[in-house]
Amino acid sequence: MWSLALTTLLHDRGKLVTALVGVVFSIVLVNTQGGLFLGFVMRASLLVDHSRADIWVGHKHMHNVDFPSDIPRRWLSRIRGLPEVRRADPYLVGWADMALPSGGYESVVVVGVDPGSLLGNVWNVQDGTPEAILQNDAIIIDRCEVEKLEGIRLGEVREIGGRRARVVGMSEGIIGFLVAPYVFTTYDRAAAYTRKPADRCSYFLVKLEPDADPRQACAAIRHRLPDAEAMPTAEYARTSLDFWMTRTGLGISFGAATLLGLLVGMVMVSQTLYAMVLDRLGEFGTFKAIGAQESQIVTILLVQATTMTLFGTAIGLGVVSAIQYAFSTPRAPIIIPWWLSAGSFVLVLAICLASAYLPYMRIRKVDPLTVLQS
Amino acid sequence: MTANHASTNRAEMDVTIRAEGLHKTYGRGSAATPVLRGIDLQVRRGQCVYLAGPSGSGKTTLLSIIGGILSADRGEVCVLGEDLATLAPKQRARLRLNRLGFVFQRFHLIRGLTVLGNVRVPLTLQGVPESQARRRAMELLEAVGIPEKASARPEQLSGGQCQRVAFARALVSNPDIILADEPTASLDAANGQEVMRLLRGLTAEQGRTVVVVTHDQRIFHFADIVYWLENGEVVSSGKPDAVPHPAPVATDRGISQ
Repeated sequence: MWSLALTTLLHDRGKLVTALVGVVFSIVLVNTQGGLFLGFVMRASLLVDHSRADIWVGHKHMHNVDFPSDIPRRWLSRIRGLPEVRRADPYLVGWADMALPSGGYESVVVVGVDPGSLLGNVWNVQDGTPEAILQNDAIIIDRCEVEKLEGIRLGEVREIGGRRARVVGMSEGIIGFLVAPYVFTTYDRAAAYTRKPADRCSYFLVKLEPDADPRQACAAIRHRLPDAEAMPTAEYARTSLDFWMTRTGLGISFGAATLLGLLVGMVMVSQTLYAMVLDRLGEFGTFKAIGAQESQIVTILLVQATTMTLFGTAIGLGVVSAIQYAFSTPRAPIIIPWWLSAGSFVLVLAICLASAYLPYMRIRKVDPLTVLQS
Repeated sequence: MTANHASTNRAEMDVTIRAEGLHKTYGRGSAATPVLRGIDLQVRRGQCVYLAGPSGSGKTTLLSIIGGILSADRGEVCVLGEDLATLAPKQRARLRLNRLGFVFQRFHLIRGLTVLGNVRVPLTLQGVPESQARRRAMELLEAVGIPEKASARPEQLSGGQCQRVAFARALVSNPDIILADEPTASLDAANGQEVMRLLRGLTAEQGRTVVVVTHDQRIFHFADIVYWLENGEVVSSGKPDAVPHPAPVATDRGISQ
């Protein structure tokens, strides 16, 4: 039955190509749109994802890593006192102005890390090392922000919050969801740049003992500090992401655009399948006259739809890889995780199988008698 | 049991197709057109029976009912001991696939398949393993005399060759009955004679029953019995030379009334 379905499918190459184009179009669209979307929204949790911490502790209503509310530093000792906690350090995320050579200012998000653990420090440093922030007045910024910061260079000295800041390293691809560049430095220096009171910080980053359960540790922290919130890193990353998704309608916009493209692709597929069947109604009549069962006719259609999806997906993913290779940049990354590709395949397969239903309804009406009367 | 009873039972067992009082009407109300009006028919195993008559006489409708493609409004039709009226569409399809072979007027070969692929279709639908199906299909192509066309496409064949492929497809699953609808209508006279000789040769040696719908009186001599239909009724039946029918008019495509 498979060979019968495939051979007849391959016969009409023109229509097959049209249907394949539909599938390829849908796969490329879903993956590219989805990849761009992920690349964009994953910036919202960039600091959390790369923090190397197990738990983030912050204000009771913490909802977004870039907009923390201050918490008292004295809470730190209560967290460190928990048996599950191996290490807990203060972390600071705050806003400050960097002076520009032109005389203007640029708002930056200053990230202050504990010099002992360097939890939550900069990563993917291309010029210099992450540990360079331990040097005097050291800051590390991202290469992608050079233009925004009016040609800032390695070794250059600037002012942030009226204090001296020297560029000791440059990372690649650390661009936040906000337009402000990230500036990584040590905790105390960050507090000075942002004029944060010495007894306040933004978060505590916690490393747990190897066999400790993060959820239980979070519960223990919340129990000890009723005014604090504690979340496992993955959960806080999701919370930060959800903040932008739900408050900006971003997900709906991207989703709608993707859905629209998907629909266009699927209309192409279903129309082509239908046209292919219409062209071959007589042949299906012949199958019926010879004695084919309804289930065999359905099998033929499903095999054809599945084959088109498989080939279309394979070609589509090839095109997506090429697009990703050619167009993905640190500023506009296209992130395509395996589950996005797998999900798009399942989605397109489901729609292809559903679109086989329309031609099937047409075939059901074919009377094998027509074969004898023509 | 007496000798008479024994021979009667044997004769009944030999009947592969039995139709009694078949009625069929197309359309309803004022548009109703009666096509069959009380057809009685009996075909024994191994017989070659022709259903002949002018256009609109109900030949193809009768063949469709015998093949389980169409249902009669009234009357009874038994094929190979099965009362078709009691069979569900699925069972009738299975009967067609496993025990009947069809030859269509316009061949109805599948364009996307090779000649070999076309011959294999019934076996594929039966779920016969591919290698076995291929072997059997090649045997049939050899039997119909075109093994060299196995990998050709239907559009590369002449009409006569297409009909040979259709015969091979009809015979490939070893059916008990072959139902052929105007098998010579698309062929010239010489080809018509040749394919009928081939069909008789392929079926007679294995005792298969053949029912042929035809206009072509020049192939009547291949039949054991001819049923002459007019206006949905059998007006005469018997040996080909004993059945009165209008004189044929020869055309370059065959015979017409």
